Amino acid sequence: VSKKVQAIYLWWHKPVIDKELLQSLPNLKVIANSGVGMDHLDLKLVASFGVKMANAPRAVSSSTADTGMALLLASARRLVEVHNISISPSMEYCEADILGVKVAGATLGIIGMGSIGYKIALRAKAFEMSILYHNRTRRKVQVEQAVGATYCKKIDSLLQQADFVMLVVSLTPQTHKLIGKRELELMKPTATLINISRGAVVDQEALVAALQTGVIGAAALDVTSPEPLPRDHPLLKLKNVIITPHLGIKTDKATYMITEEAAENILAALNGLPLPSEVLPS
Amino acid sequence: IWYHRPAINEELLQSLPNLKVVASAGVGIDHLDLKLLSSYGVKVSNTPFVVSTDTADMGMALLLASARRLVEGHEMAVSPDTEYFPADWLGVEVSGATLGILGMGTIGYKVAERAKAFEMKILYHNRNQRKKEEESAVGAVYCKKIDDLLQQSDFVLLAVTLTPQTHKLIGKRELELMKPTATLINISRGLVVDQDALVEALRNKVIKAAALDVTYPEPLPRDHPLLQLKNVIITPHIGSATKKTRWVMMEEMAESIEAGLAGLHIPREVL
Repeated sequence: VSKKVQAIYLWWHKPVIDKELLQSLPNLKVIANSGVGMDHLDLKLVASFGVKMANAPRAVSSSTADTGMALLLASARRLVEVHNISISPSMEYCEADILGVKVAGATLGIIGMGSIGYKIALRAKAFEMSILYHNRTRRKVQVEQAVGATYCKKIDSLLQQADFVMLVVSLTPQTHKLIGKRELELMKPTATLINISRGAVVDQEALVAALQTGVIGAAALDVTSPEPLPRDHPLLKLKNVIITPHLGIKTDKATYMITEEAAENILAALNGLPLPSEVLPS
Repeated sequence: IWYHRPAINEELLQSLPNLKVVASAGVGIDHLDLKLLSSYGVKVSNTPFVVSTDTADMGMALLLASARRLVEGHEMAVSPDTEYFPADWLGVEVSGATLGILGMGTIGYKVAERAKAFEMKILYHNRNQRKKEEESAVGAVYCKKIDDLLQQSDFVLLAVTLTPQTHKLIGKRELELMKPTATLINISRGLVVDQDALVEALRNKVIKAAALDVTYPEPLPRDHPLLQLKNVIITPHIGSATKKTRWVMMEEMAESIEAGLAGLHIPREVL
């Protein structure tokens, strides 16, 4: 069987692509990933076996942007907390106490303004938010103007001004633990950190400490390290934290589109044609 | 008045001979008997526009939370029993889906502005059709018949005022017209929906889910079926509950009261 395998469609990081597997599949031509992130793959290793790789960038951007906004709003308006109060057997709440944060007029700082970050900016603009962004490279003026986003060359400037900080970067050696103790301390004590990128972009221990001591106000995380977190992890117990199970692209439509993109890439590779979304080791 | 308290009835009005003005927090005035108050010479004010943005935001928050199964997802993420996240656990895509807005006043329109940024198709039903420029600005298509909107929408959002005409606007018939994959979002008043019919519709999968900021009564009795259903999100009428907005509401109410007591024109008077 292993001689027949020409393509792998990687679904949620399985199977694990290591040297052993690659050696056992001599006719493997392509690995298509079900998502855009490639941090779980050793790109150089795979390329050294002459195997092409592809991701699914187009299908993920809207769903992930929607998740970012869903987390922002849920956190700002304390949605999970108040739902639990609403359905709880004891009715000990006083409506006047349950106040959230006004989103309109608040400042959103987007770290990572790729396709997903840009879609978030489009959505945030409709909510009348002020938008700051930090990116490896500055985007074109027309793009900035379309969403009213202001470039922050230094991440510090963004962190100091934002009411909501949203992480939308790819995980690379440069973005590993991008948000640590220093960055959290630069943020406003009333600010919320939203992570829809990768758990490893955040120094998780520093985040726990920051949340426990009021260095920042709240966090909403679709991604953690690992997933799921160990059941005794402090993040699971904090009242001001919303955690979702990496549902960024988990919709019926996105799943369909991802599979279509993967199929396109696989067929192209098997037919010796250029791949629509090939990923090369940098 | 905050949260409909105190209840303004004949007994109260008779006991307060010098009452000149009732300032009500929020935009809804369905809890006030305007004719009765007028007969006692008492003026009424509300806080109509300041609540619009936060209420529209709440509508979108509920829509997104419901579609992406946010509350359920959080529970799974923090539950002591969770060992892994299942690969086939999916929500519904919001971008590109169809949103039907019932009631295109200030709040409904702000919802449309937000939904447009999510590339949603927007249908609306309103007592009156809005101007063409207003429709084009948000890409909203008017549905003269509510049935058309109900049959085509993936998300139905209620943003009407509670009046005798909108009482139980959404009943068994309307729920059955909705898609079985549709979600009902209510940010108007609990009484706009026939709550018993809603429970049945949710139980029998006539519609997929509901997200309610308002119910009747508020809060619901603790044994109410809506509290038990997995496909329901309930929030405690917090549409306008942000610190900034509540602050402005208080300021506006104080302003209206002062004007009323001074015999001047009352800002935001309800006639």
